[in-house]
Amino acid sequence: MSATTYLFIANAAVWLGVAGYLIFMASKSAGLERRVQQLELLGEDNDG
Amino acid sequence: MKIKVLAALAAIALLVQQYMIWFYVPVAQSGLVQKIFYMHLPCSWWSLVSFFVVFVASVIYLFNRKPVFDRVAGAAAELGVVFATLALVTGSTWARAEWGHWWLWDPKLTTALIMWYVYAGYLVLRSTPMGRDRKALVCAVLGIVAFLDVPLVFFAANLWGSAHPDGVARQGSGMEIRMWHTVFAGLTAFGFMWGAMLLVRVKQLAHQARLEALLVWDED
Repeated sequence: MSATTYLFIANAAVWLGVAGYLIFMASKSAGLERRVQQLELLGEDNDG
Repeated sequence: MKIKVLAALAAIALLVQQYMIWFYVPVAQSGLVQKIFYMHLPCSWWSLVSFFVVFVASVIYLFNRKPVFDRVAGAAAELGVVFATLALVTGSTWARAEWGHWWLWDPKLTTALIMWYVYAGYLVLRSTPMGRDRKALVCAVLGIVAFLDVPLVFFAANLWGSAHPDGVARQGSGMEIRMWHTVFAGLTAFGFMWGAMLLVRVKQLAHQARLEALLVWDED
């Protein structure tokens, strides 16, 4: 492999890692949002 | 607001850093592959900063038992493991190109790998089902004990010698001024990104804790 390929691999690995963690955080946010909505629905059911 | 500003600064700084890596910084004597250094160093340094934050937050938690410090420690540990993983991957790629091996069992690399395992274990502990306060206490103790390995990683090359350069920058290291600019651009860019991600994650953990408290309240 050439030096450019190694440089490209290392660079890509960093961006993939950062992107992976951002996706993880986004999925956590979506999960929290879903749970809040479920709680709101439960609250409405109890009120009704 | 703070998060948005930090994220915007991070995006701009990262673009600038990429430009500097590919077009601004001169090619070193060891060849183009040395440019991996400009990604490897910020990942490595910010992982060590993360683990220092875990240590400080854990100590404060043990003193005042405020859950916010437990959350800061948890978020910083996650970021530390992410950046340490990236430092290991970039370092390994560089080693393959430079030394012909993906991995060498030398003191610096070995202590870094041990550090990675210890903090990965810390994250596993954080995800185990346990009472909230008890878990925070156990994690705080581990967060303090785990930090013992961090100075060893930083000074491993000085202490035992290593194929890897030491963690302390020296004058006369043969680096041109444009190389230093790129190093500082990388540290700054990753610093903004690290700050933004830490704040987001701490906020998320606070929401999660509030939600869990609400659910426990509902069940009663």
